[in-house]
Amino acid sequence: MSKVWAIARREFLVTVTRKGYLFTLFGLPLIMIGGLLAASLLSRETFRDSQANQGPAGVVDRARVLDFSLQAATGPTVSTSPLPAPGAGVHSRLVAYDDLDQALADLGTGDLSAVFLLEAGYLQSGDIVVYAAEKGIFSQLNQTGRRQLSALLRASLASGRLEEDAVARILTPGRFKEMQVSKQGRIRPEGNLLKRVGRFLGPFIMFFLLTISIFMSSGYLLQGIAEEKQNRVIEILLSSVTPTQLLMGKMMGLGAAGLLQVVFYVVLLVLPASLILTLMTLSLGQILLSLMYVVLGYLLFAGLMAGTGLLGNTSQESQQLSVIWTMTSMIPMFLVASLMQQPHSWLARSFSFFPLTAPVTMLLRLSTDEVPLLDVLISTAVLVLGIVLAVKGASRLFRTASLMVGKRPRLGEIYRWLKEA
Amino acid sequence: MVAPNPVISVQDVSKSFRSVVAVDGASFEIDSGEIFGLLGPNGAGKTTLIRLILDLIRPDAGSIRIQGQPVSETHKDRIGYLPEERGLYFRQKVMAVLEYLGSLKGVPIERVRRNARDWLQRLEIDDLRSRPVQELSKGNQQKVQFIATVVSDPDILILDEPFTGLDPINVHLLVRSIRELAAEGKTVVLSVHQMALVESLCRRVFMINRGRQVLYGDLEEIQSRYSEPSFLVRSGADYQACELIDRFAGHNAAATVHLKQGVEPARFLRWLVESGAEVESFQRARTPLDEIFIRVVRDSS
Repeated sequence: MSKVWAIARREFLVTVTRKGYLFTLFGLPLIMIGGLLAASLLSRETFRDSQANQGPAGVVDRARVLDFSLQAATGPTVSTSPLPAPGAGVHSRLVAYDDLDQALADLGTGDLSAVFLLEAGYLQSGDIVVYAAEKGIFSQLNQTGRRQLSALLRASLASGRLEEDAVARILTPGRFKEMQVSKQGRIRPEGNLLKRVGRFLGPFIMFFLLTISIFMSSGYLLQGIAEEKQNRVIEILLSSVTPTQLLMGKMMGLGAAGLLQVVFYVVLLVLPASLILTLMTLSLGQILLSLMYVVLGYLLFAGLMAGTGLLGNTSQESQQLSVIWTMTSMIPMFLVASLMQQPHSWLARSFSFFPLTAPVTMLLRLSTDEVPLLDVLISTAVLVLGIVLAVKGASRLFRTASLMVGKRPRLGEIYRWLKEA
Repeated sequence: MVAPNPVISVQDVSKSFRSVVAVDGASFEIDSGEIFGLLGPNGAGKTTLIRLILDLIRPDAGSIRIQGQPVSETHKDRIGYLPEERGLYFRQKVMAVLEYLGSLKGVPIERVRRNARDWLQRLEIDDLRSRPVQELSKGNQQKVQFIATVVSDPDILILDEPFTGLDPINVHLLVRSIRELAAEGKTVVLSVHQMALVESLCRRVFMINRGRQVLYGDLEEIQSRYSEPSFLVRSGADYQACELIDRFAGHNAAATVHLKQGVEPARFLRWLVESGAEVESFQRARTPLDEIFIRVVRDSS
């Protein structure tokens, strides 16, 4: 046991002082949070810009139905002045014109974003002609102007014909106040946008960081073993310890480094963030099960990566080979939208019952919703089976492949090594 | 040929890799406290034999016993191994590498540290202990590799080409260290290509070619077996005047003299003395080991 401990201790210390590890520990969460904040700010600004950039629209009312004195009731976006005052921006949306030609001329110079024409027979036909400059297929033909005109038309048509309250409800049929009911039946008002986004992002960020932890730790194992094979230390190590001791020590040491990463993320980032921003909506059960899948996922991929590390002649070659495992396990990531929307679909369940995709899928499902006990039991069982096979296979390869150098082995050769040892 | 107290006993061991027979029925014994030469050309099967002794790979047939017991994981702590291909953690500091590799032999870390400091001094690289291995010269890396082999104070040392990359001064330093270790009772298995070093260090040798045993036994006996009846003589005598001599090479002061068939060496020595010439030295000429090596490899290929 002291040998396993000595190996684990060294692997842990060497890993946690690697630049790559420290970057992942401190840099990655900062980059992720910074990236998310930047993305949300950017999209908000872009939305505002697109609104602000739309110029006012001209209205030629030949049907004489619009009452421009009701502009205030429809919002602060209607103007009766021929042209908006400089700097009036989004507040001057609709401009009344008597002459269509004048309006079209202003459209041509770019002072107007669109011109709406209500013909004399509008009340009977409901037809409104919209003139807009050519802008290509993505032009929206002044959606904001249309909304403003519709509101002004509703106000003008209802005013004087209906009671004041009815007019108000026609203009604004309802103000929605959202309440959220938790699984435990607790009712609370739906928070602001940040809180709503946070409730989705919190678990997702946690899922993402946990997944990264699995692959980073097992990736270090692959790199370490491939390097030891390349620089021939492995022969000296195996002249002192058994293949199983070597593998166990490495898995423990690198697992501890991975665990430290997870604990760091949870304690220093996810927990405080969830207290301040109500980021976390996961139950304790979901969190504990997630941690269990991190451990199982790590053990499975550690076994696979250890074996793969022994097959290449250089660490680069081994890393290329290991893409088979990482790509397969990442398939659920490509279907993340579908799996998060329907976490109990047959697709999600199938991925949960296949060892290579089970860790990522279960982490994803657990970050979205509670998962049925049966699914947890089956996926745990297949993962444990996968771990036993991977670790046994890797131990056998230590006896044979670790001392082989030269060309990359073929599949038949690997099979024989696994059988021979 | 049975060693009186074998520490390592290899009996009829064979090992194949697919269709390639790496070792074919090898048998030898290594005595406690001796320096045993394991010889053979490149690709002969030496490394496979060493890996079999270390239990890194298992034989297809035959048995290997260490200290009387079938070879197993428990013997690993008692064997120090210096492989032909160097293996060190190049980015780590010298002392950290020695401590780690020593501790894997189950020796308490304090003892490993003490031994490491002692050996760094003995091999005159004490000032490099805090330097990363990759900053060391090849020769010094080789010395670190040697220290990593002996730092756990094992009973058996298996040294595969330990002199690679060393200058003559350091070769001398290492030869002295190996002799001292043998004198302390350690058993040393030495695989080297420099036959002069084998002659100066080993009492017995085993030679393998194409997986098969081609030489085994006492080095002196082997050399006598392969030597013709000739003598190295340093004297002022005129060999051309001697009718006992078949032929001679070299000048009169130092010559290799081949006697005629049936002539007793004592008769020739008497002639030398009677000739009145001053005789500085007179010894039986032994065929150098490299010559035997080349001849055996050529004959067995």
